[in-house]
Amino acid sequence: MSQAPQFDTNTIKIEQLYKSYDTPKKGEVHYIIKDVNLTIRGGEFFVLLGPSGCGKSTLLNMIAGFVSKTSGRLKVGSSEVDKPGQDRAVVFQQADSSLFSWLNVRQNVEFGLKMKKVPKAEREKVSDRYISMVGLSGHENKYPRELSGGMKQRVQLARVLANDAAILLMDEPFGALDAMTRKTMQKELSNIWRETNKTVIFVTHDIHEALLLGQRIGVMSKGPSSQITDIYDVPLSYPRDFTSVEFNDVYKKIQSHFDE
Amino acid sequence: MKILKQKWVTLPILWVVILAIWQFAAIIYGPEVIAGPIDTMKGAAELLEDGSLLTYIGISFYRVFVGWVLGSLIAIPIGLVVGKVKVIRVFVEPVLNFVRFIPPIAFITLFLVWFGIGEQSKIALITYATLFIVIINTLTGVLAVEEDKIRAAKSMGASEWQILVHVIIPASMPYIFTGVRLAMGTSFMAIVGAEMIAANEGIGYLIWNSRLFFRTDWIFVGLISLGLMGFITDRVVEWFGRKVLYRYGVIGSKAN
Repeated sequence: MSQAPQFDTNTIKIEQLYKSYDTPKKGEVHYIIKDVNLTIRGGEFFVLLGPSGCGKSTLLNMIAGFVSKTSGRLKVGSSEVDKPGQDRAVVFQQADSSLFSWLNVRQNVEFGLKMKKVPKAEREKVSDRYISMVGLSGHENKYPRELSGGMKQRVQLARVLANDAAILLMDEPFGALDAMTRKTMQKELSNIWRETNKTVIFVTHDIHEALLLGQRIGVMSKGPSSQITDIYDVPLSYPRDFTSVEFNDVYKKIQSHFDE
Repeated sequence: MKILKQKWVTLPILWVVILAIWQFAAIIYGPEVIAGPIDTMKGAAELLEDGSLLTYIGISFYRVFVGWVLGSLIAIPIGLVVGKVKVIRVFVEPVLNFVRFIPPIAFITLFLVWFGIGEQSKIALITYATLFIVIINTLTGVLAVEEDKIRAAKSMGASEWQILVHVIIPASMPYIFTGVRLAMGTSFMAIVGAEMIAANEGIGYLIWNSRLFFRTDWIFVGLISLGLMGFITDRVVEWFGRKVLYRYGVIGSKAN
């Protein structure tokens, strides 16, 4: 048996990526992100960390295929990204705007399978599995409006897991949750990631969250013309103990990055 | 006075007061100017007896219903296309905003020429009255669909057609419903005008024709019938929205 290839289907390779928009003034170009270079391995949990407005969501949306690049290379597996694809699932920041409010939990989770015309019995098997994985068993028939913020994000998570994408793109998914719920969700996401072996790109502006979750943390500079200035390896084992000395050492190192 | 907060107490009192004022005004101005509640009831009994009132209500309602359904069925797909396709929208929107300011009743003479004096011209008028309200509401609904929903569907492998059917239409349902409900109101306005000008039957005809006989009481009967018809239809439509379209986020606006 040969070794798995270096760039398997869920490896993301970004080279000299630029995104700009035209300013009203002629000839003047505004960069949202500038010269981003990044390789994310298959199965990795990568966190994009940066202050708000730094273009990390833009970068995520470009990987998702929602936003086109201005120049550079952006590859997932061996193909260049030019549109959304089923290999890249997105968990949005706002559950209310991204969940289908007219469908109940089960129907939301089965949406992608239904679009692929998977038979009902099969769909139910898959949705049962992921609804139970995110801890929503017993809530299958509820509509999003009947769920709490944390539960809605669980539905989003189950929905993308059911669609079986290799890559999960998460845009501050826990940003709108209360502190307690957020903690639980972080722990569960970490468990699910280790269980499913997905590649995760997780956007946040919270250093603590980044350190709890990420194997590597890419720090983005303030916009405009945002760049990934540093990439930190987090050599801590999971589940992470945020009271440990090691955790705090890395925390301080990253914090000092923003203090400058 | 806690008892005055009870609905079963306040409502009858309110009605008695309204009827008293009405009767009082009728006595002051005389029955030729204002037909009082008793005269109106007598007039209604007369019209009910010879069957004309129910026939007229039925005919007016039939015209409104057919035109309204037809108009909605044409308008919803147009609204979806105009909302979804930007190239078409840029072209169509000014036209929409030009034509919708021409009141339906202004078209009646033209429609008589085009569709004849029979039912067709009246139904065409109601269809027209419904059309623009529903198109504009549907269009607004399509434009209000959150980008995240469409993006989510796309990255789950939905085709453009599937996005239209499974995301855009259900998401714009509250807007479409509001348009359809509002159109019912304008349809009633349009039909009365049309029946006054060009019809031999219907509530509008009754109101217009009663002036020839100086039967103010019949005019009152006509007005009250219109109010009741509108009120009841709106309640039925609202109920339908609340019960059947609840999961799309259609909420009723019943006061209680």
